[in-house]
Amino acid sequence: MQAKERVRAKRLYNMGRYGTGLLFMLPWIIGFAVFVLVPVSWSLFMAFNKVQVAAGGLKYEWIGMRNFRDAFLKDNIFPIELITYFQEMLLMVPIIVIFALLIALMLNQKFPGRFIYRALFFLPVIFATGQVLSELFLQGAGDIPFLDQYNLQPMVEEYIGEQFSTTVMAVLGRAVLILWYSGVQILIFIAGFQTISPTIYEAVRIDGASPWDSFWKITLPACVPFISLNVLYTIIDLFTFPLNPVLKHIRDNMFKVDTGYGYASALAWVYFAFIFALIAIVLWLFNRSLNKRRVHS
Amino acid sequence: MMRRLRKITPFQVALVTSFTALAAFMSLPIIFILNHAFKPQNELFLFPPRFLVQNPTMRNLESLLLHASNATVPFTRYLFNSIIVAGLTLACVILVSTMAGYVLAKHKFHFKQLVLALITLSLMFAPETVGIPRYLIISGLGINNTYLGHILPALASPVAVFMLVGFISQIPGEVLEAAKIDGASQVGIFTRMVLPLSMPAIATISIFTFQGVWGDVETSTLFMQEETMRTMAFYVNSLLSGLQNSVAGQNMAAAAALLIFVPNLIIFLLFQRRVLETMVHSGIK
Repeated sequence: MQAKERVRAKRLYNMGRYGTGLLFMLPWIIGFAVFVLVPVSWSLFMAFNKVQVAAGGLKYEWIGMRNFRDAFLKDNIFPIELITYFQEMLLMVPIIVIFALLIALMLNQKFPGRFIYRALFFLPVIFATGQVLSELFLQGAGDIPFLDQYNLQPMVEEYIGEQFSTTVMAVLGRAVLILWYSGVQILIFIAGFQTISPTIYEAVRIDGASPWDSFWKITLPACVPFISLNVLYTIIDLFTFPLNPVLKHIRDNMFKVDTGYGYASALAWVYFAFIFALIAIVLWLFNRSLNKRRVHS
Repeated sequence: MMRRLRKITPFQVALVTSFTALAAFMSLPIIFILNHAFKPQNELFLFPPRFLVQNPTMRNLESLLLHASNATVPFTRYLFNSIIVAGLTLACVILVSTMAGYVLAKHKFHFKQLVLALITLSLMFAPETVGIPRYLIISGLGINNTYLGHILPALASPVAVFMLVGFISQIPGEVLEAAKIDGASQVGIFTRMVLPLSMPAIATISIFTFQGVWGDVETSTLFMQEETMRTMAFYVNSLLSGLQNSVAGQNMAAAAALLIFVPNLIIFLLFQRRVLETMVHSGIK
């Protein structure tokens, strides 16, 4: 009898505690369900339909996988855009992360006025909104004049072959973007360096290691979690970038009469599937390297 | 410690010089926007374009205000809408996401893991792609052409909650427990302890939210059919996209771009210390 009562009391207590939790969550959950969850699942449903605007609403016609098949077989822009963008990303992500690492390393040194510089490197993150960016690109402020001036294209082509040169040139042309998109990453790295205790560096220095050694043996291994976080952040950041050609293609298809919204959602889901796959691979690689380290130490 | 004792080394000099160069390079676009708005007509079309303005004028701003006051909807109406929407959204987002962040970090309840997983997943979703289902929901709720239509879609922001969960879990549980023993209710704990303690994180999310809402065109394009309910970002965007090749409105576009940009700058300067603090603490330790 007593045991039963105790169980009931415990359940009541838990209900009370869970209740406050749920109550506090409620506004957010409702908002999230209505404006994120439902639209996203709705778009998944639409991806399997042909959606047409008819009098008095939308008309759905179930067509199964045809939208997905069309995306790769009929559409002559989407697969190419997708592949070129992924090529570019595979170059951009490491460049941004390595650049951020270098800048963060230097900003972590002690020199006069480094707070101003930290703020300056973070500033672009705040301004890199759609309007400002598209305005700048319209005006050509994002380009770097020396690319054309010194005619680098043939040189690059000679060294790495024609099929990769366009990608490399596109990345070079976005050098300003790379600078702009590394603000958050730099901060994450700086935060990461702060978690390494300075006594370790002192110990290593007494043992006779040069700064070069201590970077490779201490700073870098300790930063692996932050590197993985940064890689993920950069991937997400670049893939949801408003000027991204794949997203633009998806948006264009949304309002085309012959393809319509169903097709556009199918494209979006293909695109997200690719991103998820990429992120899963990255996570797996980093987890593996982390586990390996744990085994060694 | 050792480094601080040393005098300025050549290495430091090199470091500062290279950083100054990089920083100057990074701030070029900002200088460009600032100067562009004050260029007179003939300088706007100089080729190659110049960064610095030669004869600054206020003509661009003037003609923007005058042009819009002659049009069907005056410019001030867009500005008013933008301020109302940004202010209300900011307040609502802060309240809703701190509440969610607090219980996610400090309480147990059903489906907590599921909610956390959903937040992480939805960080990756580009909002543009779900525009039409959102439109259907908005019109189903009947909040087209109201301020609610601007505010509600931005309410459940995964980014804000993500940051707040990280930050609030840094607050020691003992502090909250002590408040509870002293007789504070859950609401009391939330308003008296959690809100003040998470101020830095709130500053950060208000920067991000403000920036997102201030520059957002999606709600104005999709959910507002009446011109009087649209925001300034929409107006500027329509000026820019309609004028890519034309000559007449370029000066207005330049001035409008500045107007979009300046509030972001002000908000950032107000809160930037706090941002750096949150970034250093949130979620990654």
